[in-house]
Amino acid sequence: MTAAARGSVRLEGVVKRHGTTTVLHGVDLAIEPGEFFVLLGPSGSGKTTTLRILAGLEDVSAGRVLMDGEEVTHAEPGERDVAMVFQSYALYPHMTVAGNVGFPLKMVGTDAATIERAVQEAAAKVGIGHLLARTPGQLSGGQQQRCALARAIVRQPRLFLLDEPLSNLDAKLRLETRLELHALQRALGATTVYVTHDQEEAMTLADRIAVFMDGRIVQVGTPRDVYARPQSVAVAGFIGTPPMNLLPARWEGDALVVDGQRLPAPSRAPVPRDVTLGIRPGHVTTATQGVAAHVERVEDLGDASIVTFVAGEHRIKQKSERAATVREGDTVALAFATDSLHLFDRATGARL
Amino acid sequence: MRTATTAAARRRTRNLVLAAIAGVGVAVWVFPVLWGLLTSFKTERDVLAYPPAVFFTPTLANYREVLFGASSILPNLWSSFVVATAATALTMLFAIPAAYALGRLRYPYKRASGFYVLVTQMLPPVGLIIPYYLVLQKIGALDTYVGLAVIYLTFALPFAIWLMVSYFEDVPLEMEEAALLDRAGRMRALWHVILPQVRGGIAVTTIFVFLNAWNEFLFAVVLGGNRVRTVTVAMFNFISVEQTQWAKVAAGAMLAMLPVILIGIFAQRHIVKGLTVGAVKGGGRR
Amino acid sequence: MTAAARPARSLAAQERRFALALLAPALVVLLLTTTAPLVYLAWTSLNRIDLAMPWLSGFAGVDNYAKMGSDPRFWNSLLLTAVYTASTVVLQVILGLSLALLVLQIPRGQGALRIAAILPIVLAPVVVGLFWRTLVLAPDFGLVDMTTRALGLGSHNWLGDPQLALISVIAIHTWQWTPFAFLVLLASLATLPPDVYEAARLDRASAWQRFVHITLPLLRPAIVMVVILRTMTALSAFAAIFAATGGGPGSATEILNLYAYRTSFTELNLGYGSSLAVVLLAITLAISFLMFRLRRAR
Ligand SMILES: Nc1ncnc2c1ncn2[C@@H]1O[C@H](COP(=O)(O)OP(=O)(O)OP(=O)(O)O)[C@@H](O)[C@H]1O
Ligand SMILES: [Mg+2]
Repeated sequence: MTAAARGSVRLEGVVKRHGTTTVLHGVDLAIEPGEFFVLLGPSGSGKTTTLRILAGLEDVSAGRVLMDGEEVTHAEPGERDVAMVFQSYALYPHMTVAGNVGFPLKMVGTDAATIERAVQEAAAKVGIGHLLARTPGQLSGGQQQRCALARAIVRQPRLFLLDEPLSNLDAKLRLETRLELHALQRALGATTVYVTHDQEEAMTLADRIAVFMDGRIVQVGTPRDVYARPQSVAVAGFIGTPPMNLLPARWEGDALVVDGQRLPAPSRAPVPRDVTLGIRPGHVTTATQGVAAHVERVEDLGDASIVTFVAGEHRIKQKSERAATVREGDTVALAFATDSLHLFDRATGARL
Repeated sequence: MRTATTAAARRRTRNLVLAAIAGVGVAVWVFPVLWGLLTSFKTERDVLAYPPAVFFTPTLANYREVLFGASSILPNLWSSFVVATAATALTMLFAIPAAYALGRLRYPYKRASGFYVLVTQMLPPVGLIIPYYLVLQKIGALDTYVGLAVIYLTFALPFAIWLMVSYFEDVPLEMEEAALLDRAGRMRALWHVILPQVRGGIAVTTIFVFLNAWNEFLFAVVLGGNRVRTVTVAMFNFISVEQTQWAKVAAGAMLAMLPVILIGIFAQRHIVKGLTVGAVKGGGRR
Repeated sequence: MTAAARPARSLAAQERRFALALLAPALVVLLLTTTAPLVYLAWTSLNRIDLAMPWLSGFAGVDNYAKMGSDPRFWNSLLLTAVYTASTVVLQVILGLSLALLVLQIPRGQGALRIAAILPIVLAPVVVGLFWRTLVLAPDFGLVDMTTRALGLGSHNWLGDPQLALISVIAIHTWQWTPFAFLVLLASLATLPPDVYEAARLDRASAWQRFVHITLPLLRPAIVMVVILRTMTALSAFAAIFAATGGGPGSATEILNLYAYRTSFTELNLGYGSSLAVVLLAITLAISFLMFRLRRAR
């Protein structure tokens, strides 16, 4: 195994049960060395569990974990050469920042001078070089987060695990730190697995995203991929703010029938069938003819606006970069660009 | 304006009344001890003065007698010190690891083992003293420091375990996990990461165990003897012999209780914490 | 994959081994210092062991237990135990709670109060008993007698009169341990959320209503715990009574603890003493089980 290839991770059929409840139903995953890999999914979908299995903090009920081609399924956390940043940071409150950052090195018997140098270096990288003598209690939330980060990078592990590391920061700091985190990961070139339920975070940080739902991975791909070609209704409805509009429709020939309105379909239906029609809010436009709807609500976000239409018994959201031209109560016709329609099987939810 | 002043005045009177009632409560607790302190500086004549002498010429004769006289309690203070210290050290040695396991680790029969410890905490000492006496007599361990210190584990260990458990439970769970990922291993995670975070709890528990051991009487009187006679036993014997020498009794009592009173005053915060932790967490039950 | 197929060195297995290694020494000690003696006690309670008449020793079956039925001293001690335990616990909780509620209203000086309250708790019960026997309750020159004399209520033999002696030992116990209830309840009161009270005040609840409908329910867990712990202490009370009255006069203050002790170590009848101790243990455990059940039911 060459140094450059260090940090590949595979999960094979990983199952996790707690008593009778199964929280992971056979997860398969392959992460490339140096990749920034994000686990994205709604609350309770099993992201943290997966991360903890990678860390060795949780046993698997079935399946295998491999790192750099080596099986580590039952290896102890300390043997795996991975570092983790906890959501709560888990800083040791009785040690100084320097003590915290240097602890992983001290535990493997590194000599004091080397530790000190490494601590300085790691602290400088995350911009807390001047705080080394403080204890965690004397740090702000952002500084604590950086301290946890420094503790993770100080020993140059083959794998970084981060569990919602930004969730305890305020909105502004979260944006800044996100950028820094990305730059840091690129500079270190270390494989990183990052858990979040914030899709914007996932989109901006990830090389690839694995979308979790109910203990299963439902899609793996680049952020663009996941956004542009969601593989199922569930993913489509989860990704995007606001998420994709989903309407029941019937696909007949080269037309889609929505609420009795015929729209042109992107392709010909082999046989007439029931589908779910998906359309991103950004792709909804008002036109002279189309699906009849009236404006229920207009939200002006300053740099964008979100309009909620009611068409029949469905709500359709529109997002545009300009101020809304319609007013609440107006009646309009909605048009959808044919090439931006997504079609899903009504019964299985799979992309067509 | 007028209503405001009357309200303020009413509040003041109310506070005064409250303070007075609380003051009486406090006096009831403090006064007997203060009275004992005063008495210990009196001559036996002043003790029996009626009405009681508040102003008198203080004398150190009682202390001199109690410390260096024929029946000096110095050896007893030493006995108490040895027994209490040994019992405390032993207790903490066993209690800390056990409490850590009970409070933070997953293992089979965890509930059952916790319950067992809880039950052992409830056994009244009088119920156990007979077998102790018979066994120690059989193995010739009556009137020995080792015998008494080990027996003190009976009441000290369950109590210390449960008190420590509640402190261990307060440490965030990720602490070990972080330490394990930092390659500390179980033992060093406990030593370097967890124990420093329960220092306060260790202090509280040590204080309590020491207090209880110092104050213990029943085991000491039955299992002790001429060699190992703790200060509580000595005080008891003292009064049986010197029925009427109250000033001397008071001086002896003051000396015997000096360590615990000092601990009480200086470790006040710890003690209140220990009492409440134990009580609020319910003997440590989750 | 089955559990058996998994290597024993998985994280959970390793945690289990570590836990058992840490726990085992303490469990062994407890087994040796509490459980083994209990078994031995149960055995001696089935024997006749009279150190005054060692030639009569031998297996006696349930004779010792049968003897209790017709032993008026036993029934008396049982009754006294009930009276002593119930009255001291009730007094401690009522006094402790009242004082805690009062003190909470006082803006300053709580620190001094806390020190004062610590004082009785840290004293050895045997010394407390001695103290009361001499300086506080002694006829003529004790604090109490001097007070009653000064008030014209005359002199009493507080520890010599059977009825007064029982009241006295109850007072001693209450004096020493009320601070515990006080401190614990004060601490619990201080943690009650103030916004609840403000809300209640806005709902125009009177001070008494606030106490009954808010304070008491919120405080109940703490009160129940105090009751349990105080009951345990009362049931194992020994040294203070032993020092103050020795169980006397006669057997006026001889609770079960003292009866078992006197039988064993004064009358040297260890067999019968053991059976009394077994009864004491059974009662204590039964009561604590009941109480914990009660606590969980709440
Ligand atoms: N010890 C446990 N016992 C039983 N169920 C558990 C246990 N730990 C986790 N779970 C369940 O496993 C599921 C996945 O949990 P996990 O923490 O991985 O979710 P998550 O995706 O990280 O969610 P979040 O975004 O809220 O952190 C949840 O439904 C949770 O209730
Ligand atoms: Mg999570």
